[in-house]
Amino acid sequence: MVLLGVELGAILQVVGAIAGVVVNLLPGDPGAAAVSSLQESLKGIPTLVSRDFIPNQGYWDGSQWVGTFLGLSPAAAWAVRVTVVYAYAFAVLGWLWNGYNRYRRYYRRVDWTPRDDVVNRFRGHTWGQFGLIITITFVVMAVFAPALGPTTMEENILQPYDYEVSYWDDESQSVQTVLVGEANLGSGSQGAGDENVAPMTYDDFGRFHPFGTATNGKDLFTQVVFGARISLTIATVAMGIAGIIGLSLAMLTAYYKGLADLAIVLASDSIQALPVIMVLILMLVIFQNTWVRELYDGAVLIILIFSLVYWPFIWRSIRGPAFQVSEQDWIDAAKSFGQTPGQVMRKHMAPYVFSYMLIYASLSLGGIIISVAGLSYLGLGITAPTPEWGRLIADGQQYVASPSWHISLLPGVLITLVVTGLNAFGDGIRDAIDPQADTGDEAAATGGGA
Amino acid sequence: MSTTSTEEEKTSHESGETLLEVNDLKTYYEDGGLLSSNPVKAVDGVSFSIERGETLGLVGESGCGKSTLGRTLMRLEEATAGEVKLDGTDITTLSGADLKQFRNDVQMVFQDPDSSLNERMTVGEIIREPLDVHDWKTPKERRQRVRELLETVGLQEEHYYRYPHQFSGGQRQRIGIARALALEPEFIILDEPVSALDVSVQAKILNLLEDLQNEFGLTYLFIAHDLAVVKHICDRVAVMYLGNIMEIGPADEMFESPANPYTHALLSSIPEPNPTAERDRITLRGTPPSPRDPPAGCPFSTRCPVKIRPEQYRTLDDDLWERIEVFREVLRERSRAEPSLSDRVRDLLGRETHQAGMDETLTELFGGLDVPADVMDHLREAADYAENDDEDAARTYLREEFGSICDRERPDQLGVGDRGRLSLCHRHDEEYEEPATVFETLVQ
Ligand code: SF4
Repeated sequence: MVLLGVELGAILQVVGAIAGVVVNLLPGDPGAAAVSSLQESLKGIPTLVSRDFIPNQGYWDGSQWVGTFLGLSPAAAWAVRVTVVYAYAFAVLGWLWNGYNRYRRYYRRVDWTPRDDVVNRFRGHTWGQFGLIITITFVVMAVFAPALGPTTMEENILQPYDYEVSYWDDESQSVQTVLVGEANLGSGSQGAGDENVAPMTYDDFGRFHPFGTATNGKDLFTQVVFGARISLTIATVAMGIAGIIGLSLAMLTAYYKGLADLAIVLASDSIQALPVIMVLILMLVIFQNTWVRELYDGAVLIILIFSLVYWPFIWRSIRGPAFQVSEQDWIDAAKSFGQTPGQVMRKHMAPYVFSYMLIYASLSLGGIIISVAGLSYLGLGITAPTPEWGRLIADGQQYVASPSWHISLLPGVLITLVVTGLNAFGDGIRDAIDPQADTGDEAAATGGGA
Repeated sequence: MSTTSTEEEKTSHESGETLLEVNDLKTYYEDGGLLSSNPVKAVDGVSFSIERGETLGLVGESGCGKSTLGRTLMRLEEATAGEVKLDGTDITTLSGADLKQFRNDVQMVFQDPDSSLNERMTVGEIIREPLDVHDWKTPKERRQRVRELLETVGLQEEHYYRYPHQFSGGQRQRIGIARALALEPEFIILDEPVSALDVSVQAKILNLLEDLQNEFGLTYLFIAHDLAVVKHICDRVAVMYLGNIMEIGPADEMFESPANPYTHALLSSIPEPNPTAERDRITLRGTPPSPRDPPAGCPFSTRCPVKIRPEQYRTLDDDLWERIEVFREVLRERSRAEPSLSDRVRDLLGRETHQAGMDETLTELFGGLDVPADVMDHLREAADYAENDDEDAARTYLREEFGSICDRERPDQLGVGDRGRLSLCHRHDEEYEEPATVFETLVQ
């Protein structure tokens, strides 16, 4: 089963709703069509941005393309859809940004807040913005995965023998149909010249493959975008859980100090002393045949392990700032008029520590993505057939030096790009929050993993 | 300034009624980790009372325990022993709803206006927070109250939506004061409220505090590290040294004629506005002893310029006596200091560590002086102990020989004058000369 993370669903609800609003504002037909698709989309939001509206799966009937958007070639139709998806996403974000600016300028009662400075500094940080754009691109890829693939998971990868594809058969000069599974068998990339479907080409069955095909003839791009979804979900959920644990413990230890702190130091030191990758491999092997391992293709187990292993790093990296803020007089002031410990931590301490956590989290996300890929590469991570970048790399490894180089290389390049982007973004936040910050050593040092 | 009628009624406080009574309060901390058994005696048995509507100044050098005392009264530190009675209720044992009620009645203004305001909150939110915590009336009335408070402390309503960053130090301190006033407390602890501010701003804030006191009938405990500031605003002053109140009494009287030797020293350090007035500066030797290990007798005995001498040394030359005290101070410092790394190395190599130092010290201190043979013998004896790395024995030896009642017995607070002044010094005992008299002879 495809992993549809709960949180992604939630994001999509919002994004989808806002997209509808935006489209409504646009003049002309596409708006109306999109809005009607929005209505259905409340059930199947990820397919919202118009697989049906801009179809690219068609066939050549000898004189023209049938079933594609405006009769364009499948490649062009696919390109249009990808463009529309990204245009959508960036339009929505631009609209939100504009809204924030207007709010800030015209509606907010406060004319200046400390956070404004942070935003302004980030605006002047090109490297961080580069990171942000990469990150958004990656997130959009994950969120809109079903709309971005030239074909669907269900049809091409999970149930290829339940679907048919029509194609123009040159020999008989007529349109034939064939099961997708059989078509896949005939379009694998195995290195040899006639056993290869390179990026941006059609296979023998008139199907367009932006990233070529995998060894088994399944579409690589579809696998890559769904792989992005899995990686992103694992990384953000694991980081989220670890962040919540780390932040809460940092608040408690900084507020109560003494024994509480000592206990957590011991606990986190013992966890940090473990080699992360070894623990992951060990745990995955131990749970190999249990039900936990089955949950969402193993993602749940991976998430749990990562959160358990990562919280000490988060706690460590924010412990200093937490202690610093706990020494401020405003904490005493709050205690002196009887503010409860919980509120003191939430209102007077957490906001000062949160940004540090954000930096650290964005830097570590890349590490987790790499680790997950590494595990899948070793055959331990996400179970097949759910696509995962690491496994794609492993599958294509033996063909790196052959015409089928794309199978390993493209996912590899993407991982590098995404991790670089996340790190750049983290750097940007760090410089924006604290222009004088001298190091991010502690945080950056753990960016790796696999 | 706008006030409500109930606030005005409060102005007519009956003076003479005790609001706060502190009895033998002690606050000790263990801050040296789990193993140290020797706590810091930050507040070491303090008693005083404050009347309603009064301003009591609490002065002393930094580290004397005055801030800890303030924080203990505020229940920010737990008292180790003793009691603090506010309106007759001992507040050191309060908890739950009673503690919350107490938090309603007592507020604090902090020293550093940069650190006492959460800079991620707007001024309005900051001042409102106490009201929110205590569920004061309705949110609308709270906002209204905050606006009034802003005006009361001399700021403007529109500052509600600004952040602390946008204000100067003096203005921030006004915000802190407004926050302290929010719950209409009876008693406010002012922890060095002006010492972080420019001199020009200090006077304005002090005036504001006085006006507020008159308007709302507030009682203040004003903590400060120099007497000059306290002079203007306080009715009575308590002088603290090493966790003890050395002298407490009416401000004017104490400034006129200090009773306790420590007060003498402290007052003489205020720059004299009138240069022709003769008041000689008394420079104290050394530093205060560690509050982990306070002297057994009078807290001030290690530095007191008019310390009582044992009978047989009364006639000893003043300079020589001074040197003997310095020698004792040196030994005390040495026993406090960890052996340095080079000392340890020398020790391991079997070289002499302290001996050379001791001889030099003796020569340096007593070289130019005419030292009677018996005194010199005692000094050598002590130096011998120290040579063998036994500073404690050396100190004990010197204490036995040159020590007096000041080293042995903790003085009581003795009455001075007829306005309820108390001073912690053996010299107020009939047996001895008054500190003031001795100071006069010293100065000549
Ligand atoms: S008791 Fe002795 S040492 Fe203490 S202040 Fe009085 S004279 Fe000085």
